[in-house]
Amino acid sequence: MIYDPIDIALILTKIALVFFVILTLAAYLVFAERKVLAWIQDRKGPNRVGPFGLLQPLADLIKLLTKEDFRPIGADKWLFYLAPAMAAVPAIMIFAVIPFGAPLVLFGHTVQLQVSDLNVGLLLFMALSSIAVYGVALGGWASNSKYALLGSIRGLAQLISYELSMGLSLVPVVMLARSFRLSDIVDAQSGCWFIVYQPLAFMIFLISIAAECKRIPFDLPEAEGELVAGFHTEYSGMRFGLFFVGEYINIVVLGGLAATFFLGGWHGPFLPPVVWFAGKVLAFAFLFIWMRGTLPRLRYDQLMHFGWKILTPLALLNILATGWWLVLRG
Amino acid sequence: MPKLIIDDIAVEVADGSTVLEAAQSVDIPIPHFCWHPALGKAGACRVCAVKMLEGPVKGIQMSCMLPAQEGMVVSTTDPEAVAMRRNVIEWLMINHPHDCPVCDEGGECQLQDFTIAGGHGIRRYTGKKRTHVNQYIGPDIEHEMNRCIQCYRCVRFYQEYAGGCDFGVMGSAGRVYYGRFQDGRLESPFSGNLVDICPTGVFTDKRARFRARYWDYDMAPSICPHCSLGCNITPVARYRELLKIVARRNDPVNGWFICDRGRFANDEVNERQRPRSPEVDGRETTYDEALEALLLRVGEAEELYGPGSMAIVGSSRLALEAAALLPQLAQSSAAGALCYFTLQAEGDRTLAAYELLSAGKSASLNDVRESDCIVILDCDPLQDAPMMALALRQAWRSGAGVYLVGGGIELPCEFTRVATLDAVPLAEAKRSVIIYGTKGYNGVTTVASWLTGIAPNFTKGGLPGNLKLACLFPGPNSFAAALLSREHGAVSLEEALADGGIKGIIAVEADIPEQLLEGVRFVAVLDWRKTATVQAAQIVIPTTAWVEMDGTYINNEGRSQRFKKVMNPGVPVKGEGPPLHPPHIHRSVAPGGEARPAWQVVAGIIEGLGGERITEPLSGQWEYLRELDAESRGVMINDL
Amino acid sequence: MRILSDIAAIMTGMWITWKHMFRRPVTVQYPEEKRQPYPRYRARIVLTRDPDGGERCVACQLCSAACPVDCITMQSAEGDNGRRFAEWFRINFSRCIFCGLCAEACPTLAIQMTPDFEICKRDVMDLIYEKEELLIDGCGKSPDYNFYRHAGIGVTQPRGTGVEEMPPVDVRGLMP
Repeated sequence: MIYDPIDIALILTKIALVFFVILTLAAYLVFAERKVLAWIQDRKGPNRVGPFGLLQPLADLIKLLTKEDFRPIGADKWLFYLAPAMAAVPAIMIFAVIPFGAPLVLFGHTVQLQVSDLNVGLLLFMALSSIAVYGVALGGWASNSKYALLGSIRGLAQLISYELSMGLSLVPVVMLARSFRLSDIVDAQSGCWFIVYQPLAFMIFLISIAAECKRIPFDLPEAEGELVAGFHTEYSGMRFGLFFVGEYINIVVLGGLAATFFLGGWHGPFLPPVVWFAGKVLAFAFLFIWMRGTLPRLRYDQLMHFGWKILTPLALLNILATGWWLVLRG
Repeated sequence: MPKLIIDDIAVEVADGSTVLEAAQSVDIPIPHFCWHPALGKAGACRVCAVKMLEGPVKGIQMSCMLPAQEGMVVSTTDPEAVAMRRNVIEWLMINHPHDCPVCDEGGECQLQDFTIAGGHGIRRYTGKKRTHVNQYIGPDIEHEMNRCIQCYRCVRFYQEYAGGCDFGVMGSAGRVYYGRFQDGRLESPFSGNLVDICPTGVFTDKRARFRARYWDYDMAPSICPHCSLGCNITPVARYRELLKIVARRNDPVNGWFICDRGRFANDEVNERQRPRSPEVDGRETTYDEALEALLLRVGEAEELYGPGSMAIVGSSRLALEAAALLPQLAQSSAAGALCYFTLQAEGDRTLAAYELLSAGKSASLNDVRESDCIVILDCDPLQDAPMMALALRQAWRSGAGVYLVGGGIELPCEFTRVATLDAVPLAEAKRSVIIYGTKGYNGVTTVASWLTGIAPNFTKGGLPGNLKLACLFPGPNSFAAALLSREHGAVSLEEALADGGIKGIIAVEADIPEQLLEGVRFVAVLDWRKTATVQAAQIVIPTTAWVEMDGTYINNEGRSQRFKKVMNPGVPVKGEGPPLHPPHIHRSVAPGGEARPAWQVVAGIIEGLGGERITEPLSGQWEYLRELDAESRGVMINDL
Repeated sequence: MRILSDIAAIMTGMWITWKHMFRRPVTVQYPEEKRQPYPRYRARIVLTRDPDGGERCVACQLCSAACPVDCITMQSAEGDNGRRFAEWFRINFSRCIFCGLCAEACPTLAIQMTPDFEICKRDVMDLIYEKEELLIDGCGKSPDYNFYRHAGIGVTQPRGTGVEEMPPVDVRGLMP
């Protein structure tokens, strides 16, 4: 296969763009979360650094970078250093398969607004989100701390459980779109969004991704009330920052996926497709923040009970119902 | 032995006990002001009311006035009795001023305690309070008559118990006044006990006036170092300053009281100029350097004058811990002499007196109080050991005969002068005591020869009847000094210096007359007092005063008593630093706080001279004293 | 059905937090905006004087006894006419927890708390306030009270002339 240099340049540009946008977005999500939570609690939130506190993420970054890089005695050195990267990298890699806008025509080339249009994009997402579990597991294990270990054990069980219902909730989407390729799934929704056909699958997916990014009400791996800070108790400085930013990248990515699978991706009237897509992603991010400001944390047994006894059977029934419906429709 | 029931608890008490005592024996508290264990009852305050439910008398009764009788059923919690006590307290408070914040008794005041306990809080009486004019009653005691609740304790103690006649009660009804006929110092040598005995703040210690509160005191059980009786005391300190001395109860020894000397003559401890830091040739230095210099000079003395040129000198005020280490120090420094006494006469007399005691039965102060015939021979109890005089007054009050051989002294009771011991009707007495002293040589020898005359083999332990002996030694630990002298063949310093071989002296809390130091080339002193010997010494290592360390004294009857550390050594905060407040400095050791107990310094010298390291001063024959409880009655030493 | 009521509960919660997002924040931007504390606010401690200008504090040690963090130390002394006063009086504000027990314990109303809560120093030793920094020229919250007028001993007035006192008894008088 021969690549045009312009193609290569375009791909590199897209990668750079995606990196820049995602990381900036993640950083500002932290800021947005603090602001929204403050508003919910009748406070003002960060407002000292820069106008309206807009330079707060920068200040946080400088603080994290200049803090001591601490490693507990008895920690497994290499795993301890590797775990934060294991948490952040797979999250950002998932974005490679998400189409974030309608194809553009530039310099005579048709440019897909997607880093890579894999024909098994959905499967890649499932695979990478499973790898992200290792960040939690290894971080907690390598810290040589009881709180971190307990947090990582909870994280493992939770992530594996909810991955199941998440995967199952996506089967009807594939059945409707008849493709694992994410651009095909988006195209299949040009008329009507899948949320209309699959409200149940959407709800299951939404709940599952909340659990997947360890957000309240599913933040048991961190559970600061009982486990100090859960699996990243012993981390400090930028290594803690990686875990932290990984969580927000996850929000962006999973929000993007939810938009892609159920809300028609970049489809939408009047506004440019990229704006539609960004709007949907931010709406999901806001929903997560809102939920965090409202809901209390689940108990561990309630979490497992809900995952295995309610979500998974429901997702299976939904697949059956979708199949029946497809067969009946012909 | 009547049996009675108090608050559902069955009690059996000795004949003659009161209901109040019976209740106290089973830890039932009954408020009382006028009743005192040593003074007995007066029935003046009416606050010990109880309800008699069954028995020979019924209804509300004063428990301090009522002898315990068979079949009594007593309730201290009956509403009627409680109401009575509450009303009495309210009456007592009618004239009591509202000055607790500026009263030194506040915090340790019986009236405060019982007012709160009685439930009286808000004043209902709207009339005016009676007031009095105070008197100047001396430099040691403050008089504040407005606070008086007319319990009569002071005058009962002063006149009846202690035999004073310049203080009494005047007036009538609500105008009762306790004081002297006119201003002037109280004459009794026991006047300080008024401070302890007053249930409120009429008499307070002027030396500790406005200094501290009870809850801030540094306190510990201690022993008075002023004479050989070993009265039990509780020194009170605050901010490294010894504020006052309070009597501590020990029935076989001093009972409830102490004399004014023990109470008020303790300024030396707070003296800023007392040895506070080690000095070598008049230059202040550290403890380690001073110790090094001392070891060097001991070595030099041996080189220049040969072995045996050093003398180790202890004293009768040195605590047992250090005194018991001196023989070891003498050994390791190859000293030519070990001395516990400086003057030969003093040493010989004390040893002879000790011999008499170790052979016979020594009398405690309580034995004196309970005896029925007392002979005083060649000593002046009011001067040498005032509490002995108070004890023999108590014996006289219960009917004992007091006989003074010779004359020339005063006693706080009536006595008969006799010419010799033989003139005393000892044969008729059931419990007799001979009190003699070591100031003059006559006492000891007279008693010894007289005893040999009537009981030839008394040294083997046989004394006629219940005859006991009490000796008044010069120092608080004379008994131990004599015992150790005898055991280690120590001689007095005077004798040791006689042949001129001694060129150096290590004096451990010893007072050496100047003329004895002529011809001595090197003097090292371990002491906490600024004595003449300290001024003459080349090396001074400060030791702690008795209130700044744990230690043991053996009193005149051979009773070992432990005293505990009351405060940390150091210059008192009072007068420290910039004007208006103490300095703003963090320090781990207080200024002047490097002083160590004498035995630790002695142990350091022994170790420096190549001896073993000593961590426990009481070993060998003294080991049984290690666990001695300071709050106990003391332990008689093994020989007795 | 329970699931419906549960969903309704979640929705109610979400609605409440939504509403709160648009409320005016209660935050006070402290160094720029300052709230005026109430007169009984418990902050910096002062020692007041009685209406006659004398020091009210008699150094009775009740405040230091009441203090749960032991931040008050003092030494009492005897002044003119037997008046008891504080020779020195020290409050360590780096330890003080502003609980107000000292002011409550004070029998002479000398120790009082003021609304001045802005006590910050670069050096912790500067937070140790001595008597000259604590003593103010005023009566504070109780302008009329003078302990010694009621105490019943003669300090500010001859004995027997204070409030509710009879003249001293003539001990040698023979009248009943």
